[in-house]
Amino acid sequence: MHNNNARPDEPGWMSGLAPLSRRGFLRTAVISAAALSSGCATLLGRGGANSDRRYQHLTEDESIVLKRLTQVLLPAEQFGLPSSLSEVPTVQNIDGMVGQMAGQTRELLGLGLWVFEHRSMASFRFSRFSRLDDDEALRYVNAMQAGTFFERGLMTTLKTLVCVNYWRDARTWPGLDYHGPVTEIWGVRRLGNAPLPQV
Amino acid sequence: MSVQAIARGLPVVQASDVTSAQLTLKADVVIVGSGAGGAVTAYELARQGLDVLVLEAGPYVPSTAFTEDFADSLETLYEDHGSQSNKDGDLLILQGRCVGGSTVVNGCVAFRTPDFILEEWRRDFGLAEMTPATLNPYFERVEKHLSISTNGPHEIARHSQLMMAGAQKLGWSMKPFQRNVRECALTGHCLSGCKTDRKQSMLVTYLPWAAAHGARIHSDTRVSRVLSDNGRVTGVEGEVIDRTGHKVADVRVEAPRVILAAGAVQTPVILQRSELGNAQVGRHFACHPSMYVGARYPEPVYPWRGALLGTYVDEFMHPKDGGFVLEVGGLGVAEMCLITEPGTGKPYIDYMQHARFNAGIVTLIHDHNVGEIRWNGEYKTIDYRLSDQDFPSMMAALTAAVRLHLAAGAEEVFLPATERLAVRRESEIEAMVGQLRNRPQALRMVSYHPQGSCRMGADPANSAVDPHGRLHGVEGLYVADASLLPTSLIVNPQVTVYALANYVADRLLASA
Repeated sequence: MHNNNARPDEPGWMSGLAPLSRRGFLRTAVISAAALSSGCATLLGRGGANSDRRYQHLTEDESIVLKRLTQVLLPAEQFGLPSSLSEVPTVQNIDGMVGQMAGQTRELLGLGLWVFEHRSMASFRFSRFSRLDDDEALRYVNAMQAGTFFERGLMTTLKTLVCVNYWRDARTWPGLDYHGPVTEIWGVRRLGNAPLPQV
Repeated sequence: MSVQAIARGLPVVQASDVTSAQLTLKADVVIVGSGAGGAVTAYELARQGLDVLVLEAGPYVPSTAFTEDFADSLETLYEDHGSQSNKDGDLLILQGRCVGGSTVVNGCVAFRTPDFILEEWRRDFGLAEMTPATLNPYFERVEKHLSISTNGPHEIARHSQLMMAGAQKLGWSMKPFQRNVRECALTGHCLSGCKTDRKQSMLVTYLPWAAAHGARIHSDTRVSRVLSDNGRVTGVEGEVIDRTGHKVADVRVEAPRVILAAGAVQTPVILQRSELGNAQVGRHFACHPSMYVGARYPEPVYPWRGALLGTYVDEFMHPKDGGFVLEVGGLGVAEMCLITEPGTGKPYIDYMQHARFNAGIVTLIHDHNVGEIRWNGEYKTIDYRLSDQDFPSMMAALTAAVRLHLAAGAEEVFLPATERLAVRRESEIEAMVGQLRNRPQALRMVSYHPQGSCRMGADPANSAVDPHGRLHGVEGLYVADASLLPTSLIVNPQVTVYALANYVADRLLASA
């Protein structure tokens, strides 16, 4: 397939960020969220210092949001699965993916995480998502999932981002009895190109 | 012309092979895109002695490099790294973007164009030649070339077996698919490319055959414009971009004939960037918006085991019967994260821990051509929103899929929505499905079949391309991909595209 698309590439589960680039949204949701959080980072700045050196591409603020979201979405060790933070490096996997993103997509993700972190301030005593207790964080995620089209899109995207970066890790597969790649294990023979037709 | 034996691999000029900052080439025909349309036209023209040059924007990834990991494959083999979506961001539009195009990553399902669709095309678009009598020889030819055959019993995996039992209970017609596979190894990794060349994609069939007849293939080459002079094409220009996104060279090709086969999204974009074609270019886009309806069964199903696609319900295929198809499809773990909303925290973990108990059904509808592809000067826009006219068909297809799951013994069926909705018994279906509304970010939809953006027809007032595949008003410029389809097909389009591409190649040869 041919590509003349100058729009930056994004992984598939990032499509829910598309509405973020709409001017209408930027005028309403982002700006109103910004107004709610006095003293917050600028819209695209998000306190950009990357002091947590475990992550090459995520800022400290972003990694805090993603760690907390991973805890809320994937309490895996409670169910006998590898921990989503200490055994499977979910946030580190996301960090690697972020490193592959084109500039505009990276900005959209940062904006999405910032909005997600601060959107809770309207309903949870001016508290950011990462500071909510477990019950509140779960209620917030569920409320976003059932919210406006933008909230649903953002929540679906972030949820998929976190979950795919956990379950794509081969360390999670034995717990699901998933076989993963098989051709080399099974020793399946390659057929090569089909023979040239005679007509 | 000598014919070379190309038993393995493919001779492809890649970005890493280009040493000059300006690449100037000549050909009798330049073909943009190497998927279903581009590869077939390349072979059919090259074997008749034309000097054919194929330009593919995506990389050349030989099958030995396929990883059988869907998340990796999205990034490597798919358009926009698997992120191509509509403007609302609620419809993922998957297309291959590699040498061989979507044929490398499709599910191998092979349908001829339904007769009632051809009838629509003749009646509404003046396509008098689109008859079974004209097209059947083309269908027979590609079916033979691509080893298309009906799934045998060993290719009906557990998930399909369950659904067949369910369909039997409901009295619905269900059939095994036809697929373009030789000796399927049953790995279930079709969507990540077939590592052992059993899928008869363009990568291992028409492209090496075209190369054997002298066609040249360049990957990593993004055509930006078709060049023309006084209403006649003179070639194309573009850029060679390496895999890190860096420009390696400008490319310019002189050719008296150009075939656009870049797919239903990119072909109209190239035409718009070239300021060629009438106002119909980019309009009438359709895409078979699909839902993957998953369900949990009381016994392990292992949806990743066996042939990815085994059987389908054709009971409702004709528009008078509903106008939709249900296809039983397998999936892996990463895909499972994308298709449904099982809840957060404990319910999500529970859903995934029971992944092996899941089975799924893909819905396809005969959607109306309500979308539009636009190049805005910086990037493309896919303006497609499920129409209110099509929403009832989507819900009818969803309802039928839920009924089939329940009849097959499912304990819980997950509706493909952005909020958690599940059905456990027949009496709940109407209320649950009735909660869904046609609004952005409500349904989880995927399109595997973009089509119709350069519609073929006799009248330029409602079509972009004439009945022989020539762009209205421009000499020497042809379209040979799914853009041509005047209406959506209901069924998987690869065989239709192969046949139409062969048809267009024959018309080009006749006019040469």
